Amino acid sequence: MKAFEMYHPIVLFAYFASVIGLSMFYMHPVYLIITCTAAITLSLLLNRKSFLSGLKFFVPMFLIAAIINPLISHNGEIILFYIDYNAITLEAIVYGFAMSIMICSVIFWFGCYNAVMTSDKFLYLFSKLSPALALVISLTLRLVPRFKYQITVIAHAQKTIGMDISAGSPWQRGKSGIRILSILITWALENAIETADSMKARGYGLKNRSTFSLFIFEKRDGFMLGIILTLLFTNILGSYFGVTTYYFYPTFTELTVTPISIGLYISYASLLIIPIVIEIQEAIKWRSLKYNM
Amino acid sequence: MQAQSAARANNFARKRLIFSSIIIFVIIPIVMIVGVTMFNDRKYNLISMIIVLLACVPFFISFERRKPQPREILTIAVMSAISVAGRAAFIWIPAFKPVTAITAITGFAFGAEAGFLTGATSAIASNIFFGQGPWTPFQMFTWGILGYIAGLLGQKGWMKSKIALIVFGTVAGVLYSFCMDIWTVISYDGLFSWKRYLIAISTAIPFTIVYAVSNVIFLLILAKPIGEKLERIKVKYGMLNN
Repeated sequence: MKAFEMYHPIVLFAYFASVIGLSMFYMHPVYLIITCTAAITLSLLLNRKSFLSGLKFFVPMFLIAAIINPLISHNGEIILFYIDYNAITLEAIVYGFAMSIMICSVIFWFGCYNAVMTSDKFLYLFSKLSPALALVISLTLRLVPRFKYQITVIAHAQKTIGMDISAGSPWQRGKSGIRILSILITWALENAIETADSMKARGYGLKNRSTFSLFIFEKRDGFMLGIILTLLFTNILGSYFGVTTYYFYPTFTELTVTPISIGLYISYASLLIIPIVIEIQEAIKWRSLKYNM
Repeated sequence: MQAQSAARANNFARKRLIFSSIIIFVIIPIVMIVGVTMFNDRKYNLISMIIVLLACVPFFISFERRKPQPREILTIAVMSAISVAGRAAFIWIPAFKPVTAITAITGFAFGAEAGFLTGATSAIASNIFFGQGPWTPFQMFTWGILGYIAGLLGQKGWMKSKIALIVFGTVAGVLYSFCMDIWTVISYDGLFSWKRYLIAISTAIPFTIVYAVSNVIFLLILAKPIGEKLERIKVKYGMLNN
């Protein structure tokens, strides 16, 4: 079930950038329902485990964020009751919930983004923008496990000369621990210079050096990118003409159902469900292939 | 000959410093004001994310255009990796992060630009481990700018004493918390209100204290030994002194 991930990083990035950007922009109830449903479905498809374990954190956050708003904001016309002479309005409560749905959806989108955009894809895209900085980031990512390994090497070596972190008084242990960290940092800096000189010797930064990457921009990537950008543009145009604006204060805007607004709802929904459709399509194809075998 | 080239290098460094200072203290505020007025005071959440990302761009461009040497790249990567590993090691204490301290120490030793890059890289790289989110640009910028300020102060030679480190750590912790709270407030409804900002700041006081305390602790423990190691590398290989 990982068909969507096989697309070119630029397609994936375009999808998430437009989806997250639009989700943060829309407070219209219909849009919120679409956003929330799509975000949850995609999360269940792509990173079910971390999504479900994250829920116990997000549900309370959702409720707290929804409750805080009516306590702070006293705008709105439909007054339900008073707390300390402050009006608690229906608009503020609904707005609080709408806000929470939006924030949670954005967090869910980022969860999917983290599942799909692995560090290699991110660095591939980033290196097109800023090669030197992408190199810094990828070196950083490489160095963290390297340090972890080196720290055990140093700890073993120190053990042989009596600086053991697993024995002795707490003071002694702490002292050996700090000594190991100090050695690690000295080693890391010296090692960095060596790596740098080696890079330079191999011609880093010279002209005419090619780079290798696993990602090939295929026809289907271009096709998908076209669809995403068209839908994004449609939605931005719709927002520009005010079809998607919705006000909670002073009281709820009436929901309009016109052919244009329905068309926009559909275009927004189709943008969001692209990966879901791809996953389902792939699953069907896979199943039919299995039957034919 | 040598004196001449040293003078030229010094001149270049000063120009770069002035250039980056103008970007930070003049251009970014202008961009913010333009962004706010153009979008009619609405949807700060998306706009603030874009502005904060844009704010990092001048640093990245100047780094890119300078064609950095591998030694410089590797040193920044090592310092970022130390702060990422440190953040991972202390992940079990909320808000207790050595990132600001390590970034600041890099800034003290290698100057404002290296400080910014270490801070920003630490944010991106550590969030690759701990999960990217709408907070990433804010962390990039906040840690970056703290490293930048540390670099400016370090070049003046003001950061040698313990008192200076304590003051810097506390102020940096409070600034970090305040900057991240701007995001908390904006993320809530896309708008910014002082009332909500004050509430956010007051509910975040325990975190602010932990940020400040962790900064001071890490700075006091690490500033001298790591600073010496960085100085040693600098002297031994004659680097990053342009």
